[in-house]
Amino acid sequence: MPDYGQFQSAGGTLDTRWFLLVASILFVLGAIGVLVRRNPIVILVCIELMLNAVNLTLIAFSRQLNNLEGQLFALMTMVVAASEAVVGLAVLVDIFHFRDVEDVDELNELRG
Amino acid sequence: MVAQAIFWIASAVAILGGVGVITLRQPINSVLSLVAVMLALSVLFLLLSAQFIFAVQIIVYAGAVMVLFLFVVALLGPGRERTRGGLRLHWSLSLLVALPFFGVLWAMLSGVRFRAPQKADLATFGSVQQIGIGLFTKYLFPFELTSILLLVAAVGAIYLSRGERAGHGAGLADEDQDDSA
Repeated sequence: MPDYGQFQSAGGTLDTRWFLLVASILFVLGAIGVLVRRNPIVILVCIELMLNAVNLTLIAFSRQLNNLEGQLFALMTMVVAASEAVVGLAVLVDIFHFRDVEDVDELNELRG
Repeated sequence: MVAQAIFWIASAVAILGGVGVITLRQPINSVLSLVAVMLALSVLFLLLSAQFIFAVQIIVYAGAVMVLFLFVVALLGPGRERTRGGLRLHWSLSLLVALPFFGVLWAMLSGVRFRAPQKADLATFGSVQQIGIGLFTKYLFPFELTSILLLVAAVGAIYLSRGERAGHGAGLADEDQDDSA
């Protein structure tokens, strides 16, 4: 049975697993960042990192299956990520108008 | 093997950039590291013969979205992260969550069995023409939905970032300010 994970690129043979490994490392790094960092802007940056990692998996599988739908889905993800960044940053700017937030845990007004 | 060399260099840049995003103290350095990650990822997209996504990644992501982040960081000032006693606990607990998660991902990855690829014309795979055909025929409805999503995001961002909330538009924010005064 042939190894379907490998495919030919312009300059040699590549393996889909390598791309998936890089994507999972980046996703886990983003997840650690969301958990560890306190600055709300940096947390948004880490979410962008995770979304990019997912895009990489989508495009890697798209190439492995020779199926363009993964790339189309990645485009949709980019649109959603852009919207998310815009609204999230607008909310942050709005909050920062009234107070200086150094730690997301300070934003606990909605706590019951 | 040129392709493999390019792959390893781009992945090394991407992973180092990712580490930089979560370890650098200044938010501006985190944002610039993310720009490096996105440029490296765009090289990987090119290796996966996704030319259009490569261009979109550089123009839209590394260009537009990250410039927006840089603007906001510049606007809000350098919010240096405080080092408090709880931070080390945060790190260890996060690693306690993240490393098993990575282990699960790795286990799934090493056991994955790929399906046979479909027949496709690799000369045009991922070109603007192919992407356009996909977006405007089979996936026309999701494509139109994204335009509504972008409209909603734009209107929401404009509403949220208005400077003065004078007149009848005065909302929660003003009450908040009165409370703190």
